[in-house]
Amino acid sequence: MRLARPRLRMRPRTRDRELRLLTVVALAMGAGWVSLSSTRSGGLSIGDPVPVVCWLLAMLGVHVAFVISGRDLDQVLLPVVGILGGISLLFMERLPQGLVVQRFGDRTLMLGDLQLLWLLLGLGLLGITAISVRSVRWLREYRYTWAALGIGLLAAVFLLGDEVNGARLSVHIGPFSGQPSELLKVILVVFLAAYLADNRPMLARSSMRVGIIRLPPLAYLLPMLAMWGVALALVIIQKDLGAALLLFSVFLALLYIATRRGSYVVVGLVLFVVGAAVLYGVLGHVRARVDIWLDPWADPLGAGYQVIRALYAFGRGGILGTGLGAGLPTVDGVAAIPLIHTDFVFAAVGEELGLLGALAVGTCYLILAERGLRIAARAPDDFQALLAAGLTLVVVLQAALIMAANLRLVPLTGVTLPLISYGGSSILTNALVVGLLLALSDRTAVRGVPAPTARIARSAVA
Amino acid sequence: MDAFTLVLWALRIGFLICLYLFLALVVRTLWRDLRSAVSTAAPSVGRLIVVASPLGRPEAGTSIPIDAVTSLGGDINNTIVVEDPDVASQHGLLTFRGRAWHLEDRGLGAPMRVNGEPVADATTVHFGDEIGLGRVRLRLERPLERVDP
Repeated sequence: MRLARPRLRMRPRTRDRELRLLTVVALAMGAGWVSLSSTRSGGLSIGDPVPVVCWLLAMLGVHVAFVISGRDLDQVLLPVVGILGGISLLFMERLPQGLVVQRFGDRTLMLGDLQLLWLLLGLGLLGITAISVRSVRWLREYRYTWAALGIGLLAAVFLLGDEVNGARLSVHIGPFSGQPSELLKVILVVFLAAYLADNRPMLARSSMRVGIIRLPPLAYLLPMLAMWGVALALVIIQKDLGAALLLFSVFLALLYIATRRGSYVVVGLVLFVVGAAVLYGVLGHVRARVDIWLDPWADPLGAGYQVIRALYAFGRGGILGTGLGAGLPTVDGVAAIPLIHTDFVFAAVGEELGLLGALAVGTCYLILAERGLRIAARAPDDFQALLAAGLTLVVVLQAALIMAANLRLVPLTGVTLPLISYGGSSILTNALVVGLLLALSDRTAVRGVPAPTARIARSAVA
Repeated sequence: MDAFTLVLWALRIGFLICLYLFLALVVRTLWRDLRSAVSTAAPSVGRLIVVASPLGRPEAGTSIPIDAVTSLGGDINNTIVVEDPDVASQHGLLTFRGRAWHLEDRGLGAPMRVNGEPVADATTVHFGDEIGLGRVRLRLERPLERVDP
């Protein structure tokens, strides 16, 4: 019997592009940090550079781990996470530290330190996921477990959740609190990818005629109705407009990617319009959001305060920005924008880095989109392709949604800016998503001997 | 304007320049990737990865780009020649029609298997499925845009 050559899995593989890009990230962070601390101290200074150095060393550590692992992972994603996380760190160090205060024993951690902690944990999670996830087959096999887990998370939020800023999002267990809807997004994307990969040919082929449009038979529309129901439940029970909008749009995009049929998208948009109109009429909190968006000046010191403040922040920033540390953080001792570290962090970026900085951040998400969709296009099977596309869209659409809301292009829906906003759940979830995308980008298995054969061969040799 | 204000201004602009330097480098990388993907794109609709092939024909571990019609069997005139005692000369036909892959067993040899399940006559297969003829196992995968060196 002809023996397959055993594959050496641990042979290091250099990653020049990644290292080059990381050098530029380090350069940018250095310039940003000196700029920030000089502005704050009134003289040329580097302040206390520990956080930035920690972040850069952690990036280097993950890079070295990737090199040693020998996997052929995408080389652009890590530097993009590095620049977004770095911008996040600069702003969290710069914003009023009292926005978030947590006590662990006798240590008190403030906004900047906490975010550094979350970013480092997130980076660790990203590295471990990217290196250790070698097959995503198990993700597909346990699809109904994921669906059940997702529903369980929804129920947990419903039963245990606290209402914060008019949305029931966080769950507190002991000293820890988290936002399950962040994780829910990832779980639902995994389930949807598995479901659509199973039923793709049926969904794509059969059709029934209604007037001039061809519709899929009713049985195949049921999942869409179910998804619509989940989205409505999110809005009604959790008052979580952002997650609902995001999940439904990712679902429609995945359905289109899986079937290439515009009719599904049309049906989905009709459902969306119907649902939005009904909810606008019935639910007070939905109406309030839309009314603020249409005319924030109706109540400039109350409901419309944040939105107006954000607009002024963008205006103050102009094209080049006021410079890091030179913006207007507080008015009469309170933060100018109450949620500037989470929902409105993009307004802070727009103020201090200007139009150019804001565009650079937007471009980073576009790069993330390009990379993720390319990983999807190169995936070996339908499940992996849909999974990669879904994970990418969940991050990028969320970024688009909140950036547009900051600019008053769409109503504010209360989602975080991925990898920049403060928050453990958000940082960890998005790091997990990028880690999974990295794992999906590995192509070593294609070129070498397929894994099962190699394993048999190794045991035969031994 | 005093010197310090000037330095601060330079630092501010320097940070923005670094950001755009980063973006320019990334975009250049993406552009090169796209270019090389376009120039080396193979005109195939799928690939067959040879998972196991005890007699070495087709060779295990290879990736074979395939077109819309692919015949499998022991005869030399098949698109993919499969050598195995249990494989007939005209064993099966793998076709891509509409938006799905179809596998037809011509009923001349031992039944083919899809993911270990025997195929009676014809069945649809998907990317990621494993097709078995005799002891030879082939995995159907999406076409690869580019094979890195």
